Amino acid sequence: MRTLALLSTEGEGFNPPGAEDFELPPLFTIAGFEVTKVTLLVFLSVVLIGAFFYLAARRGALVPGRLQFAGEGAYSFVRNQLGRDVIGSEDFKKFVPFLVTLFFFILVNNVFGIVPFLQFPTMSHIGYPAALAAISFFVYNTVGIRRHGFVNYFKAAMFPPGVPKPVYVILSPIELMTILFTRPLTLAMRLFANMFAGHLLLLVFILGGEYMLHSGGFAAILSPFAFGFGIVLTFFELLVQVLQAYIFTLLSSLYIAGALAEEH
Amino acid sequence: MVRVPMDQQPSSRPPAGPGDAYVIIAYLLSGMVVWGGAGWLLDHWLDTGFFTVIGLVIGAAASVYLVYVRYGRQ
Repeated sequence: MRTLALLSTEGEGFNPPGAEDFELPPLFTIAGFEVTKVTLLVFLSVVLIGAFFYLAARRGALVPGRLQFAGEGAYSFVRNQLGRDVIGSEDFKKFVPFLVTLFFFILVNNVFGIVPFLQFPTMSHIGYPAALAAISFFVYNTVGIRRHGFVNYFKAAMFPPGVPKPVYVILSPIELMTILFTRPLTLAMRLFANMFAGHLLLLVFILGGEYMLHSGGFAAILSPFAFGFGIVLTFFELLVQVLQAYIFTLLSSLYIAGALAEEH
Repeated sequence: MVRVPMDQQPSSRPPAGPGDAYVIIAYLLSGMVVWGGAGWLLDHWLDTGFFTVIGLVIGAAASVYLVYVRYGRQ
């Protein structure tokens, strides 16, 4: 679509990619819901992750085959690095399904950003990271309240021990703001902004290269550099995509650990 | 699923990782938002122009102290 628009407006100069490139037209409508490529990508990710883990775990052989080995490796990475090592060996098991689901859902949807033909990071639509952050927020607060009780949970969160009493006037609002507002906000914004900016960066180099190629002359000779840089940045994006999935899950895990461990 | 016998290993919280950095940033942000915001409200109420800045500085300083209380003295 973008290509056609560019070609049809040839001679009008390069219009740089912007936020409007993230507004995808609906492909079809089901019962009043407009289904876009993004919606389909989310469903695709769920199917892919489900199929992968189902197939990997189906046999449950003592000597794992290649697929089972990959599945177990992926699972135990999240289980051990993000679950056990952060939450601690007594409590972490309950949260492993949540963390594994969170990590692979974000990971697959992020990596969609550089998979040919899919090429759109779902998380660059703020609604998706916001929903995930809301789930995380709900989980760590619920866990803390259930473990310590409503009053004790907020008391432990708002009044760190070993501080002169008058200082609480300044510190407690900050703590309350952090657990109720800043944490979910930064979770969602970090993931959204990274995916949005990364996709925009790729658009700039690839579309810029295409424009240079079509404009002819000296710019056309230089266009391979733009494409080359686009390819380099694609690999850089892969790094960012994996890292962001990791960070989101790690922070969720840290917040759960914090909610469980608050001193009474 | 194959049971991993690593449960028995003692696992203590790692001293600092990439996650802690982001937790600390969240604290700094909250401090500046809360006390900078309080200063901004005061400025609007009293028609002055310096409480926002004072609030931001107090908030940032309090956040650093809070990070020290939470993470710095073990």
